[in-house]
Amino acid sequence: MIAGLVQILLFQGLGELVAKFFLPLIPGPVIGLVLLVAWLRWRGGVPESLDGVATAFAQNLGLLFIPAAVGVVMFWPQLRSHALAIAVALVASVVATMAVTALVLRALSKDDPG
Amino acid sequence: MTPQIPAIHEIWVYLSGSPLLALILTLSAYQLGVMAYERSGRNPLANPVLIAIVLVAATITAIDMPYAKYFEGAQFVHFLLGTATVALAVPITKGLVALRGRVFPMLAALLAGGATSIVVGVGLAKLLGANAAIVGGFWAKSVTAPIAMGIAERSLLSPTLTAAFAVSTGILGAILVRVTMDGLGMKSWWQRGFALGVAAHGIGTSRAFSVHPEAGTYASLGMGLHGVLGAVLISIAVRYVA
Repeated sequence: MIAGLVQILLFQGLGELVAKFFLPLIPGPVIGLVLLVAWLRWRGGVPESLDGVATAFAQNLGLLFIPAAVGVVMFWPQLRSHALAIAVALVASVVATMAVTALVLRALSKDDPG
Repeated sequence: MTPQIPAIHEIWVYLSGSPLLALILTLSAYQLGVMAYERSGRNPLANPVLIAIVLVAATITAIDMPYAKYFEGAQFVHFLLGTATVALAVPITKGLVALRGRVFPMLAALLAGGATSIVVGVGLAKLLGANAAIVGGFWAKSVTAPIAMGIAERSLLSPTLTAAFAVSTGILGAILVRVTMDGLGMKSWWQRGFALGVAAHGIGTSRAFSVHPEAGTYASLGMGLHGVLGAVLISIAVRYVA
């Protein structure tokens, strides 16, 4: 498990360095992610210990954004006074996004048996 | 001599000065959320993250703990977001196998869907009079929360509002997917799954897996591709459009 964690941290560090010096617009961890995907493809498989750590993170991803999301308490008055706008924008945009994605996919893969 | 038993307020002062209190609060709220989610038969409305956010927010308000103070302790959990983002490389690598022969339709659908999410979300929020901070939270809300918050930080938008809207979007997508897809007459599972993953990231993906394994695989691919492409394209769009 530790070997997998070390690998992830190394790629995170690499991603942060690339972001800092070459691609300041893109979050470092995303660059680390892309580099790790490239490395795993080149290597031709996912090492067991890396797989274990990744699964543990994936299963509890939600836990990690609680500290930041709790900050909504500071936005409470703003959120309440714009509640209707937020609700309408959230519902309409998720339905529209699903619909457009699905329709484009269907239109472009007509001869795909699926 | 009997050992002095400290008064309860001294224990309190000690605990609230260390990161321990915020960590216990965060993890136990999440644990309660997970238990409620399991007990509800994995109903998307009983989302464990939503429950945990409400519990922690209510608790720190009740005990009069400033948010900055809570975050000081909880930052150890927050720090792992970047590490968890890198770890997404593993499911994405495995999912890439499912791309075979479908690269073009999927990329086109993803770009169309991602653009729709922004145009409708940001556009409607602005149109209905929401303030700049709130409108900013809509840019990355269809991207998986850890990456969405990274995009928000780089683009000087609020990571907090982005995370809150991302969680809400995931829950809404999981609830509304059936009626939307049935309404459009979408029959193939991989297309339904991919659309849900693009629109409603991780929460949509776990919903897709619970309905059909093929939908789940494609949802996870949709979420992963949206995360990576979104990190590049949304950051650029915010800089030049917003």
